[in-house]
Amino acid sequence: MDSNTLQILLMINVFLVGIFTTIAIRHAYRHFRPEQNNETPKPTHPKPKQIGLPPEVKEQLLLSSQEHFKDVLNHSAKRLEKDLRNTAAKLNKQLDKVGTNILLNEMKRYRMDLEMLRKQAETVINNAQADVVKHQAELKDSLAKQQTELETKMKSEIEDEKKYIIKQIDTKISDSIASFLTETMQHNVDLGAQIPYITSILESHKAEIIKEIDNEV
Amino acid sequence: MKYRLPNSIASSQDLTALILEIKDYAKWFEHESIKLHVNVKHVSKSPELSPSATELIHELSQKKSMNQANLDEMIDMLKEYSLKSPTVTVTLASIPTNNIKKIIVNWFRDNISPNALIDFRFNATILGGIVVHVGSKILDMSFRRQILANKSIIPEVLRRV
Repeated sequence: MDSNTLQILLMINVFLVGIFTTIAIRHAYRHFRPEQNNETPKPTHPKPKQIGLPPEVKEQLLLSSQEHFKDVLNHSAKRLEKDLRNTAAKLNKQLDKVGTNILLNEMKRYRMDLEMLRKQAETVINNAQADVVKHQAELKDSLAKQQTELETKMKSEIEDEKKYIIKQIDTKISDSIASFLTETMQHNVDLGAQIPYITSILESHKAEIIKEIDNEV
Repeated sequence: MKYRLPNSIASSQDLTALILEIKDYAKWFEHESIKLHVNVKHVSKSPELSPSATELIHELSQKKSMNQANLDEMIDMLKEYSLKSPTVTVTLASIPTNNIKKIIVNWFRDNISPNALIDFRFNATILGGIVVHVGSKILDMSFRRQILANKSIIPEVLRRV
């Protein structure tokens, strides 16, 4: 049942309650102020002829009328109460039903929304997890690459440093030995033993010497 | 006529000394020739000559007749050698003996120029070998230079040891 129908039913119920309330008020008003009520309607037709009844009968009739009116009123009040109870029960029931329906619908919608949100969240989480996994893989790759690069660079640097140190040591050794040789050999020169060597190196530089002498001349 | 300088005449100083000796000898020879020409019996003692000068004069007497003109010609030629011969300065690691000097001078005169003049010097720091100064160029063939030039090989040699 949709909300428009429910509203119409409520309006009808309110209308009926209003009618019953009006009737009850009129009955009560007539009951408690009968003389005024008797005065208000002005008969359009000629007054009926007064029948002469004895006062006891009148009293009896009045009492019985009162009793009867009271019964009718009680009965009406009871019926009204019963109707009101029924209406209220029905209304409650209807309201419960409507409320339940609304609640169910809302719950359903809420569940759907929740499900949708859950799915969205799940998708987002899955995407995020995939991104995290991807990022982790990228980081791992990057780290591995960097590690390899660093290792290569470090090896290269160590190798360069090693070469540099070896070269320095070699230079020092060469300098030391050359210095040692130049210091020690100059005190033990045997020129006679060097003559074959001297003539051989002169032979090897003969062309240069001739060229220089020609230039000089 | 060309004369080959004796190997004992190595440097320009040696050559100058030789020229002076030959001049002395030429002067004495002139005097003796005049004496002979005017029939003077007295013969003065000839000046003492070094083996190099003796060798040259002997060569002159063998190739030409010994007279004043030829002696003067030889002196002029020696002077020309002194002025025009190529001069080489040789540095050795110690003071060379005459024999070593002769060997080196002989090599230069056989291979470079027959009248090359060699000035000898010594420098112990070159350790060995020879340094030749020719004109504006220095040909360093000393042990020191070779050691310093090849000192980068020393570690390699040591590694092999």
